[in-house]
Amino acid sequence: MEQTTNRKVFEEVIQAARLWPIWLRIGLQDIRMRYRRSAVGVGWIFINLAIMIIAVGIVYGNLLGQELKEFLPFLTIGLISWGYITSSIVEGGNAFVISEGYIKQIGLPIYIYIFRFLVSITITMLISLPAYLVIAFIYSVQFGLGTLWALLGFVLLSIVSFLMIAIFSHLNARFRDASHIASVCLQVMFFITPIIWPPEVLRKRGIDWIIDFNPFYHLLEIVRRPLTMSEPATFINYIAVAIFIILLSMIAWMFTKRLSQRIAFLL
Amino acid sequence: MPSIFLNDINVKFIVDAEMTKTIKSTVAQFLRPRKTTPRIVHALQSVSLSIRDGERVGLIGPNGAGKSTLLKVMARIYPQNGGEALIEGHVCPLFEFITGFEMEATGWDNIRTRALLLGISPKEIENKIEEIAEFTNLGEFLDMPVRCYSSGMLLRLAFATSTAVDPEILLLDEVMAAGDAAFIQQARKRMDHLMKRASIVVFATHSLNVLPSFCERTIWLDHGRVMLDGPTPEVISAYERSILIRQ
Repeated sequence: MEQTTNRKVFEEVIQAARLWPIWLRIGLQDIRMRYRRSAVGVGWIFINLAIMIIAVGIVYGNLLGQELKEFLPFLTIGLISWGYITSSIVEGGNAFVISEGYIKQIGLPIYIYIFRFLVSITITMLISLPAYLVIAFIYSVQFGLGTLWALLGFVLLSIVSFLMIAIFSHLNARFRDASHIASVCLQVMFFITPIIWPPEVLRKRGIDWIIDFNPFYHLLEIVRRPLTMSEPATFINYIAVAIFIILLSMIAWMFTKRLSQRIAFLL
Repeated sequence: MPSIFLNDINVKFIVDAEMTKTIKSTVAQFLRPRKTTPRIVHALQSVSLSIRDGERVGLIGPNGAGKSTLLKVMARIYPQNGGEALIEGHVCPLFEFITGFEMEATGWDNIRTRALLLGISPKEIENKIEEIAEFTNLGEFLDMPVRCYSSGMLLRLAFATSTAVDPEILLLDEVMAAGDAAFIQQARKRMDHLMKRASIVVFATHSLNVLPSFCERTIWLDHGRVMLDGPTPEVISAYERSILIRQ
């Protein structure tokens, strides 16, 4: 089966983006549906996060001898950002599989289903964000102009989310176990990325490379540092994220080119 | 001007894709190759046809002849392997009525979602929604989640919404109306209106008796090939003869 041209890939994405009333609506509907029939509704997002923060906060905070005042805000925003990345890969990976009915019955550009999941995953993340504000308030984290760098961080993070959904939705339509395998890898990444432990712990032992070669570390830093320290992340962090985004774009582009025409067959 | 131009269209399905359906099985296949030649189904074989503005075309043929596949190529759902497909105009595929329905959402919500999916603009939807609601005859049920609906009610809602479009190219696949007798009457009328509004209609069906009243031209497909393409009465009688001979 033939591949599409670069131009067609580009047109496909633009066409899909233009249909924003559709993907915005279905994306928002996905969120409402997920929480509609439970008594606490969106509160589940907070309960999940709160349990995680309390459990990890107490155990790791004491294990690593951290001040809760600094550790809990660090942990909270880390967990929120990490959750955003993992759901992009694991849930977003199912974008086409779940949208099968739409794809096989209505010939809309398939990128609208990627945007659909971007909407629901991003909003779920935004809903959990006030949890950080609560923690930041309790431990009186200082906010300032530097905090605004977090906006850039979130924009870059959502670009990564978009690309992850694009990559894994295509991959998952082709190989059904792709996001399952990815989620196993993510479990490992969760422990070797400074989320539940601060990077300084490893730096003190001189094994910086474990952190520095991990793109997820840089990705977390561009959101975490402005929010916890009210200052931009390091230049290296931004460069690393930029390189990561370029790499992901190339992979996403390749998958789209090879697979997007055939998705209806693959499902 | 809406038009459909298909030249030498081929569509193949690979049947035994399970061997490489997962990464695990692909790696296993790579390490210990098991010789299998994948079975390929030629759903369409060098189909060429062109449909101009204003034409109403019927598609007939036995099950598995490729009618639905052909419609899906026209709807840009399936890509073709080779050949060219030029489709101009806004295509509205009505292969079923229910895609996009969310059981937990209300009738109103579902009308809006489904209408958007079919390419009605948000502004138009607001203009049409009263008329759609009226046709469904569901009254205050529209405020309830559709999971509370009976299948007949659901069908009314889905049908009313789907037939509110103003398509340039309308693709229909064996649309059958269920529901009570009064609804079938209404539905048939509404469907007639819809087909008259569209510039091009392509209509796959098994009910040969209704075809002449809808379509002046009919295409007979068998095993993915065009057997005959011409005026409806001729094509139908040729098709019926072929069935008799086979028996």
